[in-house]
Amino acid sequence: MTQRSEHASRVLDLARAEADRFGHRYLGPEHLVLGVLRDGSSGAARVLHAHGVTLVAARAALGRLAERGLVAGPRPSDAELLGSLGIDLDALRQRTEQAFGAKAVGWAVREATRARRRGLGRVPRTPLRDPPLLIPQVLYHAGEQARTLGAGEVGPELLLLGVVTDIRTPWPRCMNNRWRRQLHASLGLPKGYRGAAGPLLATLGVDLDRLGEAVDAELGGVQR
Amino acid sequence: MGETASSEVTQVAAATSSQDPEVGLAAVAALRGLVEVLEALQVENARAKGWSWRQIAARLGVTKQAVHHKYAGRRFGFRRQQR
Repeated sequence: MTQRSEHASRVLDLARAEADRFGHRYLGPEHLVLGVLRDGSSGAARVLHAHGVTLVAARAALGRLAERGLVAGPRPSDAELLGSLGIDLDALRQRTEQAFGAKAVGWAVREATRARRRGLGRVPRTPLRDPPLLIPQVLYHAGEQARTLGAGEVGPELLLLGVVTDIRTPWPRCMNNRWRRQLHASLGLPKGYRGAAGPLLATLGVDLDRLGEAVDAELGGVQR
Repeated sequence: MGETASSEVTQVAAATSSQDPEVGLAAVAALRGLVEVLEALQVENARAKGWSWRQIAARLGVTKQAVHHKYAGRRFGFRRQQR
């Protein structure tokens, strides 16, 4: 996969912060749009602004989507949940990593959460891992576009283009499996969740075709 | 602004005791996620120290077949690569 630029990583961090703000325990394409807007310094943000999308409006729109049940409602974080049982998650994480090493803990996390044919005693996610990224298709499309354009790394513009492409492309059937359904259910996502960036941009009155073209034009500018 | 929403969530978690199924059940699910990882860590550690499946199973309170079925196979690739 093509590497992410520093700017794109910053946008992803901001998107995580936005997800946190809504009490969402995952990162979806809808948060990516908010992250781009909150960063505000990329060509992608300029394009969104030109289409009349502001951070405030987008936040309000996502709030309405949550009320309509298209995305998850606010949920307490794992640290808070475990805190209510009297478990200090940070202390526990530190102690386990000290005792076994970060590499072994990482291995155990993968082992406990990986998809298995029989699903024997396994969990869709664990508090010892960051909230899951539900943007595999966005990253895939962004990487493909980067390859087409001959770009060395994926920037915020390509991420936004990935979001737009993701909205227009149906998810492959392999994405609809039991493990993923379990994961979505454990995050409080509605059945058949495929990212809510489409409804979000539709609520904001954005024409996807024109947005895609504008991002393409912006990318042409960046390339030259 | 980011702090307001997350502190609201904290208050929700703090104000409602585990009497509330919403919080109580989610807390149990989080705990289960924790337990699975810790179990994998401990079993892997015990195997690396030369414990038999029977010994591990006795401590976990399950049959040796159960723990073998769950943890044997290609999973211990992590340690093998290290050696």
